Amino acid sequence: MDLCVFGVDDGYAEAIIRGLRASFLTEAQYQQMKNCASIPELKSFLEETDYQNCLQADNPQIPTSILRQRLKKKLADEFEYIEAQSTGTLTKYLFHLRCRFMIDNVVNMIEGLKNKIDIEILLSNIDPLGWFPEIKNIKVLEGDDYSSLYRDVLIDTPIGVYFMKFLEESIENLHENRTLNDIQNLFREMKPEYIRTSLKKMWLEDFYSFCESELMPTSQEALLELLKFEADFKTVQVIYNSIGNRDLNTAAKIITTRKQLCPTIGNLYPDCEKVYLQAMTLDALREAVKGCDNYRDLLKDAPDPLKREEFNVQTKTLDDIMYDDECRRYALSFDGQGSYGVFYAYLKLKEQEIRNIIWLAEMISRKLAKNHPGWKKIIIPFSHLGK
Amino acid sequence: MSFFRSKKMKYYSLVIPRESAWVVMDQLGRLGQLHIIDYDPLLPMMNRPFANYVKRCDDALFKLNGINTLLKQFKKNLIYCNDTQKLLDKFRDIQNLRQKPGHTYFDEIELEIENKKNNIQEMSNNLQNLLDRVDSITEQKLVLEKAKEILGKSIFSQSTPHNVNDYQQLKFGQLIGVIDKEDENRFKRIMFRITKGNAWVNIVDLLPEKQHHQIKNQIDLNRVSQPRCLYVIIYPGMNDQSTMKQKLLKVCDSFCKNRIEYPNSEEAMENRLKDLNNQINETQSLIRMTKKQLEISLDELVREKNGCNCSYFEQLRLYVLKEKYLYINLNYLTMQGSIFTGYFWLPDGLEVLVEDKLRQAIQNNIDRFPTGQIQEMKPKSDILPPTYFNLNEVIIPFQEIVNTYGVPRYQEINPGIFTIITFPFLFGVMFADIAHGFLLLLTGLYVIFWKKQLSKQTDSMFNAMIPFRYILTLMGFFAFYNGLIYNDYLSISLNLFGSCYHPKNEEWERTLNCVYPFGIDPVWLASGSSLNFMNSYKMKLSVILGVTHMLFGILLKGVNNLYFRNYLDFFCEFIPQLLFMASTFGWMDFLIILKWLNVYPDKFDPSIIETMINQVLKPMDETSTPVFLNNASFQLQITQVLTIIAVLSIPWMLLPKPLILGSSQKKHKVSFSEPQYQKLVQERQGSELEIDPQQFRKDLQSAASGKSIEQSEVEHESGEIWVHQMIETIEFVLGGISNTASYLRLWALSLAHGQLAEVFYDMCIAGKLDMGGIVGGLMGGYFYIVFALLTFGVLMMMDVMECFLHALRLHWVEFQSKFYKADGYLFVGFSYNQMLSEHLKL
Repeated sequence: MDLCVFGVDDGYAEAIIRGLRASFLTEAQYQQMKNCASIPELKSFLEETDYQNCLQADNPQIPTSILRQRLKKKLADEFEYIEAQSTGTLTKYLFHLRCRFMIDNVVNMIEGLKNKIDIEILLSNIDPLGWFPEIKNIKVLEGDDYSSLYRDVLIDTPIGVYFMKFLEESIENLHENRTLNDIQNLFREMKPEYIRTSLKKMWLEDFYSFCESELMPTSQEALLELLKFEADFKTVQVIYNSIGNRDLNTAAKIITTRKQLCPTIGNLYPDCEKVYLQAMTLDALREAVKGCDNYRDLLKDAPDPLKREEFNVQTKTLDDIMYDDECRRYALSFDGQGSYGVFYAYLKLKEQEIRNIIWLAEMISRKLAKNHPGWKKIIIPFSHLGK
Repeated sequence: MSFFRSKKMKYYSLVIPRESAWVVMDQLGRLGQLHIIDYDPLLPMMNRPFANYVKRCDDALFKLNGINTLLKQFKKNLIYCNDTQKLLDKFRDIQNLRQKPGHTYFDEIELEIENKKNNIQEMSNNLQNLLDRVDSITEQKLVLEKAKEILGKSIFSQSTPHNVNDYQQLKFGQLIGVIDKEDENRFKRIMFRITKGNAWVNIVDLLPEKQHHQIKNQIDLNRVSQPRCLYVIIYPGMNDQSTMKQKLLKVCDSFCKNRIEYPNSEEAMENRLKDLNNQINETQSLIRMTKKQLEISLDELVREKNGCNCSYFEQLRLYVLKEKYLYINLNYLTMQGSIFTGYFWLPDGLEVLVEDKLRQAIQNNIDRFPTGQIQEMKPKSDILPPTYFNLNEVIIPFQEIVNTYGVPRYQEINPGIFTIITFPFLFGVMFADIAHGFLLLLTGLYVIFWKKQLSKQTDSMFNAMIPFRYILTLMGFFAFYNGLIYNDYLSISLNLFGSCYHPKNEEWERTLNCVYPFGIDPVWLASGSSLNFMNSYKMKLSVILGVTHMLFGILLKGVNNLYFRNYLDFFCEFIPQLLFMASTFGWMDFLIILKWLNVYPDKFDPSIIETMINQVLKPMDETSTPVFLNNASFQLQITQVLTIIAVLSIPWMLLPKPLILGSSQKKHKVSFSEPQYQKLVQERQGSELEIDPQQFRKDLQSAASGKSIEQSEVEHESGEIWVHQMIETIEFVLGGISNTASYLRLWALSLAHGQLAEVFYDMCIAGKLDMGGIVGGLMGGYFYIVFALLTFGVLMMMDVMECFLHALRLHWVEFQSKFYKADGYLFVGFSYNQMLSEHLKL
């Protein structure tokens, strides 16, 4: 039923996205990009693609960071256009998508301020997709006083809810008779990466429940599937990264941290939770997820995190494996009809494309030999289809 | 005759030494008759020898574009060039004067553009900065003035408290600044949260426009400035070190940098304001100066230079365009060592001109490098030459009608030539009305005779009609003519020559041997059966026209077959098709005319449809109502013969051609085993840009064993030929019937047109004529206006369009499907003139 009326409100936005499908770089174009010998050459190549307009005004020897910013700006412009054309649920949905980037931006700002990086540089590096007006006010942050940051600035923002939950949770986890000092210590030791992961977890759960409650059945089906996998990937990543992590010295601490960071949704969640929380080696993790074929296959090729020192460029890390698998899923979901999955997939696949271009730009600017394994380390959207 | 068939083309190879490439190409571009073929269409533009030059040209154009926006901002009107040939001659003269290699002129121009652009950019940036400064100073001034109003004088007279705890003596600090209007609410909220409500925040809109309205007008730069607000915060505590002040400062700074120190005494305040006023005046005079300078350098670009009849800016732009075009075409050639090789098509007989140009190239070349060489070649068998017609203004729209469907194959009969007359005629049959046709004719003639004046009025509707003036005139003429034939003047018949009937005893009697000389006797309109009569007449007429049109199309196919020496198609397709059409619908037309010519006794008038149906259903029975008067057996004999011919011609169309082709291919198979040249790489996909060594080897192998590939292709083909022939036959036989029926639209549209006209006339004019007196006059006037508007809107606009579209369809589908292959491609000459005239205006 919802397929009949999908086009009434969201047909135009979907049509735009379908049209933008043509802007993805093809495998042949990636091949040509790999053959570029210098950054100006890469830039002039990109000028022949859909990225033409966003690069024209720049100087040919464009630094990678600015290149990334330009590409992201283009994506953000497209996204903003679609957002402006959307109505009702779709607008809310698209806004939810943007929250992920806002979280990234806020955490990046916090991290930058902690490291005493100039605010102007930080502001110029924020992801345009996750821009919101309050972001410049994060400057107010003093030391590690996250609660006052929340109270003064973030409370009004879309991600304020997540931040509040995060603060509450982290304070609750302290022992009973906590003092103000304890809380300050907690914040001082807290790594921005930790904040990011827990905020994103909350966002994911929130987004999941939004999709569950407000979307039409077709969109729901497509999106819940994607989000479940994303949640599972997050879980696996958290567990994987916490194996052999030196900051978490006691087993109890590992488990509480994991419990805080692992999303409470997904295929793995209630059934395997006990097992994976306890997993202290890669094999144990493999054992924990063996219920789902897919993850077992993925983890089969992942290198052992206990031997992190031995990793080099050639190693296909867990992230690479997962991106690869995600990319396949998103491409499939992009071709699904009449669902909101296409917007999500578009965003993700474009992100992947930008990552690819930046990666190649890095490779080119470092003038690495053409037989270097790094050249193969890109995941081309839609390349999984039609094979 | 280069309009009946496209011009003969010859294939040449072109070899140019690297050193004289530019000069030679420049000369050839002036000639404009070469259709240069891309040597390797799969090679990406980036990898071609002159890709860099093309890019430089693009950059230069980009810079020029930047300058142009500035020119527009300052409302400088460029003089556009209107004679490309003259401009090209000027370019050549400039080159000749320089006495340096021609291609270096672009370097100079590029440098000049770069300098000009930087210069202008710098000045406009300066101007921009100065304006910003004025803005910010004015804003400061405004802020101070407003703050003074808000805070009053008492703020200066706070004295240090003796007792800190005495809140009556509490001192207040203040922060003043400017934020964007859209941040207003957020600002208030954050302030409230930070101070927990312990500060007084006052926000006032700033309206700077009023203040330096005057300057803005002078500058004419459309700068959008966001609305801004002034904020004043009063908070308890004056100490600089207090945490609240630090925090407030931080927040205010995070919103915007525009925080303003408020002077701490009245005197200081006065001084600040004075100071600011001085600054504004200084900056304004600076602005005026910069603007003057900028205008001078912009004017330089607008002025004519070097005797070209256009602005210097246009001259630069067109030169860069020309250069880019040259390099793009040069990129179609391939570089082999120090020479460029390529292929091009040339219309027959122009070889002398090209050689002449090549000789000129060596004369113009200062370094006397050897010039290019051309040599006639045999074209590769798989490429057809381009289609090239010499067109003039009359036939361009007709050719355009044909090309929209498909460009004629090389040397194929061009349907465009027949379209010139058949298109307006068929349109006229549908739009037949003396008055409407005459109006259309007048419109066409008006545009033809007032062309010069009209071409200056760019916004006039007639200006848009200029390219179509001849087709309009012809359409109008034929509508007028057919209107006379149908005797239809806005749904009234004209009694031009005196009717042959006169009323007698309540009935109409015909004068003996009287024939109405031209068109339909007006008396028919008065008769009750006028619609029936006209319908039957128009229907028969349209079938006759349609069959004639189609038979003509089939004949053209025969002529084409003979021209291309395709005797197989001539005997196995053309002849049976012609016979089929002639013996069925041709025969029907003959019967129609025969019936018109005879007078039949009562109850013996034949029905043509019945005759046609019985021809097939009852082939042995003589009809009781023969079309041939009193000669039923003769008619039966003819129908029998014709039916047999029509039936026989169907298998004739279907069978022989594939059989003959199949057997000839069997013979050919033997010859395929002989070594033959073949494309080395079979099909290079666009994606495999780097040659995979393995693939390359495979290609080599397959080229060596070319036989196997060919054989499989042959088997594949013979099946395809059968299917193709079957489709052709079915399409022709069924199409013969449906196309004939399709021509009935000639009748249908003319009927619709006539009925519409009648309704408008009856409703608006005829009924109102009876009303007498002043009221009747007024009503008549009013309804005349309604009638005129309806006639104009519905009949002269919508119906013209509708009839046009239907005439278009009759040509594309019914006529052209009989013979027209339409798989050619247009000749695109490497011509400066053409390219420049496309880019004359930005």
